Amino acid sequence: MPRGRPSAGVGLGALAAALTIPLIAQTPAPQPAASLVDYTDEVARTATAGIDFTGEWAPRFHEDEPERVPGPELGDYLGIPINDAARLRATTWEASIQTLPEWQCRPHSADYIWRGPSALRVSKEVDPVSRQVIAWHAEWLRSVDRQIYMDGRPHPSPNAPHTWAGFSTARWDGDVLTVKTTHLKEGYVRRNGLPRSDQATLTEHWMLHGDILTVAVIVTDPVYLTEPFIRTTDYELDLHQWVPPYPCQVVEEVDRPAGRVPHSLPDTNSAVADFSKRCGIPVEATRGGAETMYPDFRLKLGDITSRCIAAQR
Amino acid sequence: MGGRGWTGGMAIALLVAGIASMPLAAQRGRGQAPALSPRAAAPVDLTGYWISIVTEDWRWRMVTPAKGDYDSVPLNAAARRAADSWDPKQDEAAGEACRSYGAPAIMRVPGRLHITWDNDTTLHIDTEAGTQTRILRFGSPSPSEEPAWQGQSAAQWELGGRAGGMFGVSQAKPSGALKVVTTRIRPGYLRKNGVPYSANTILTEYFNALPREENGDTWLVVTTVVTDPQFLNGRFITSSHFKKLPDGTAWHPTPCRSS
Repeated sequence: MPRGRPSAGVGLGALAAALTIPLIAQTPAPQPAASLVDYTDEVARTATAGIDFTGEWAPRFHEDEPERVPGPELGDYLGIPINDAARLRATTWEASIQTLPEWQCRPHSADYIWRGPSALRVSKEVDPVSRQVIAWHAEWLRSVDRQIYMDGRPHPSPNAPHTWAGFSTARWDGDVLTVKTTHLKEGYVRRNGLPRSDQATLTEHWMLHGDILTVAVIVTDPVYLTEPFIRTTDYELDLHQWVPPYPCQVVEEVDRPAGRVPHSLPDTNSAVADFSKRCGIPVEATRGGAETMYPDFRLKLGDITSRCIAAQR
Repeated sequence: MGGRGWTGGMAIALLVAGIASMPLAAQRGRGQAPALSPRAAAPVDLTGYWISIVTEDWRWRMVTPAKGDYDSVPLNAAARRAADSWDPKQDEAAGEACRSYGAPAIMRVPGRLHITWDNDTTLHIDTEAGTQTRILRFGSPSPSEEPAWQGQSAAQWELGGRAGGMFGVSQAKPSGALKVVTTRIRPGYLRKNGVPYSANTILTEYFNALPREENGDTWLVVTTVVTDPQFLNGRFITSSHFKKLPDGTAWHPTPCRSS
């Protein structure tokens, strides 16, 4: 028999192995060797579900463009269900904190980055034996490689390290990919000092419609939010996109005394009221809070025409 | 002989494959049930009362934006010229107060929705804001109608999962989204401050009802794609989210307002 040419027996064996895949999908079967996938009922149930999110995704800033690209204004907390602690802490924030060496290369966290000004690449890891997707990877320009596990592994101990990406697992709900994330480092819900604690958890729902990716991101934070904070963000498939490397080098941006951390003392920064004045939107609204995200809040506001125009910034 | 053995093995293998796939194929082909109506075939339940949660574009949705505040919308020069001539009093006087409540804009206007089935092939959406009604018809489009604020909407289920496949394995229960394409829309505004869309607009929407969250919330996400060669440089894509309400006790329709 020529070397390398399979025998009838080998051919049958290979086919039999192939034929077992759909059968396994219907009935639980022993765990195959050398596979990372534990063939539980859940894996079997979801084996034929889901779709492929891989690709280069371009952000479309058709929502909140001024907040996302140039960046939000100080004191603009409109529509965010923050509590007093978040508000107080946000008023101590100064933008120049970003110039600190410790902050210059800080990536956006898993929850915020969807709304950030960055292109996205999604790739997948496939188990070589079962051919199941065992993880998704999401990479943005200004963030870290985020891994989302599909192999049923548990989340680690609460004492495990918290990271910018957190620890994410996912499952299919039909064609919607539902992602749960824990173990996040402290971050922000808006780039103007509104904090998000390291106790926060994240639920995402990824939805694909042709060449449009819509992701609902729901942040639950027992420290700084009174209700879950949801945003839905859209990306378009862009076959010409390339997410370049983003090497970050720490430099001396500002000459300041060692140990000086830019900040304001609580309730002393009058600039947080500038947004309200400039736009003609009452402070009661710009201070945010759950009430401001419900349509009936407009009854409190009355008929208001904003004075905000980007060119005036 | 090795080659002949491989050929023989392939033949046997194909025979085995054929036998193995027969039961599934037979299940698919035998006693097929009559086609389900769109209502019966609905992979998700969109019905009920929903409220928009305004955590995005707040200053363009919760208050009337300033004339000239067109951020985020991919407008061309003609659209900017049109928007710069926005005159809400003139709209009101001309009976055009509903210009910012048309189909391309209405999902972005804060308020509650009430979604019901009119019959087995027609979904019905009432909006608090502007007291508008959208009719989403499955199947063949109805005879041509006059352009209207809510246009003429053709609906179809986007069924998920992979029916069939190489080994005939399919999902036990398909799930998916509602796709709606709306045309014959009366020209209006994408935003209250006169950002225009034309009569050539084609609106494509995807309605996703998400699985219940751990805290009991259920969300509806509507992805809206506006195509308008007259006023837009590209597709205008937004997504709006609504939280399910237990009932309609807070339902309070309001009339259109031009400012």
